[in-house]
Formats: sequence, structure tokens, C-alpha cells
Amino acid sequence: MDAFIEAIRATQISESFRNQVEWLWPLCESLHFLGLSLLIGAAGFFDLRLLGFMRGVSLRSAQRFVPFAIAGLLVNTVTGVIFFVSQPQQYATNPSMWFKLLFLVVAGVNVLVFETTYRRRLLALPADAEMPLSAKVIGAISLVSWFAVLYFGRMLPYLVPNPRSGV
Amino acid sequence: MELLTRLQESDFAAWVASSPSLLAYPSILTLHTVGMAIVVGTCVVMDLRILGVAADVPLGALRRAPRLVWSGFLINAATGFALFTTDAEHKAMQTVFYVKLSLIFLALVVYARIRKLVFLTPAPVPSSMSVEAKALAVVSLLLWTGATIAGRLMAYLL
Repeated sequence: MDAFIEAIRATQISESFRNQVEWLWPLCESLHFLGLSLLIGAAGFFDLRLLGFMRGVSLRSAQRFVPFAIAGLLVNTVTGVIFFVSQPQQYATNPSMWFKLLFLVVAGVNVLVFETTYRRRLLALPADAEMPLSAKVIGAISLVSWFAVLYFGRMLPYLVPNPRSGV
Repeated sequence: MELLTRLQESDFAAWVASSPSLLAYPSILTLHTVGMAIVVGTCVVMDLRILGVAADVPLGALRRAPRLVWSGFLINAATGFALFTTDAEHKAMQTVFYVKLSLIFLALVVYARIRKLVFLTPAPVPSSMSVEAKALAVVSLLLWTGATIAGRLMAYLL
């Protein structure tokens, strides 16, 4: 792992991020926080409907917020890669990072299961339908895993000392 | 000032700041971020709906959104106070701290106004939102963006 960390740190892009003006890290952090609010707000709306809240809203309509969740996820992927590439030693061996990635995978697989297996049937339900158990399970897994991603992301500095980031 | 010193030297502040437990400072800080995601996320969804996203979502569906906003706000008022006690004398001197509080205050005022305008009006809701509602939704998005950035900058600016 040390060789891996050193290899990343030795790249020109990693060095240029590190030598970057003081504002790069706080700028990316601010964007990362805005991205997470957008992601959790937009995905959360869809998840809450899957869980059976907001009867009267069809899943088809609730789905229209999903592109904003994807936009938030994209912002956070880009800024997250910048964090990782500039200071890989803070993340590569950090257990909090592994939990964060684990829950990202859980959220991703959950989306895949929804898209491939349940989407057509659930989206055909009328607006005031009671949600079937499958929808509730998918909604619950999604909500829990996104908040877990947030939780382990925020705990990152406390499992490995982080010289650059503030508190 | 003396009050801030006493706050910072209280047993509670000492526990939050220096307990080795992950339940102290790290978890309180993380809860503060969870609360932010709930408040800002809910407001952003409402603002987007007012601006025309998912126009077929009935407004009545957002009737219970205030519960989410206020519970998120309460989490953050409580965790924010706990975080403040650990560094009260310094934070009370930070301009960006007052900028953040002002932006949050304004965002909540705008939120209450939007709610009154859009959700509590007895008249049937027109299919397209009034110009005032849309303008307030844009202002709301800007205020929450500013509050988030100001919060982050508290770790960087003196």
C-alpha cells in the first residue's frame, strides 16, 4: 500500500494539487458539502416515496429529482478524486474510507437491483398506491447507505490525522 | 467575554473537545453534517419544485417537509452549540461565523415566507408559480449555498 501511495503522490497532478494555492482544498470541500446535500435531498425524496411516504406522488414524478442526485454524486466524485489524488496517505489505509466505499457499493448495487428488476413494475403503480415490501426495502437500503457514506466520510479525519483539512 | 470563557472552560466543553471517544467531537461534528444534509437537502428539493422541476409532483406532497427542516435545524442548533463551546472565544471573534449565522437566519426567513406563499394559501394553487415564489426559491438556493460555504470556511479563516 505504501508503494501505491507513493506512486500516486509522485505523479505530477498530485504534486500540482498539493502545491496548489491555499483555496483549492476548501473550495473542493465546500463543493463536496453542497454535492452531498443535493444528493441526499434529491435521492432522499425518491427513497421516502419508495418507503411509502407522500402518497399521491407517483414514482414516475418523484423520479424527476433523480438527475439532481446524479449531479450531486458527480460533483462529489470529482472533488473526492481530487482529495484522494492530492493526499492519498490520508485515505488509502483509513478504515473509515473502506466503510465509505463499502456503502457506496451497497448504494450502487441497490440502484442496479432497482433498475434491472423492480423499476418497470414499481413505476407503473398509481400515484396513491401503497408501496410493496420490495420498494420499501430498496428505499430503506438507499437512505441508510447514503447517510452511512456521509457518516464515514465525515469521520475520515478522526481515524487518520489530517494535516490539511480543518475541522 | 467572561461568559464565553466560562463556557469554553466548562466540563461539557472539555468533554466534547478532548474526550478520546469517537462519540464526542467526531460524532457531534458528523451529526452536524447529517442535520445540514436534511435541512439543505429538503429546502433544495422544495426550491427545485417551485422552479418547475417535477412539476407533476403535487405541492401537497411537501406539506410535511417542515417537520424535516425543523428537526434538521434542531439537530444543528444543538450540535452547533456543543461545537461552539469547545472554541467559544475564538469562534465568537470569527467574522465568517456571523456571516454563516446570518445566512442561515435569512434562509429560514425565506423558507417561512415560501411556505406561507406556496403551501398555506387557501386559494387553489395555480399550475405555474408566481414570480415572487420563484424569486424566493432562487434566493433560498443562494442563501443555503452561502451558508454551507461559510460553515466550511470557519475551519480555514481566522
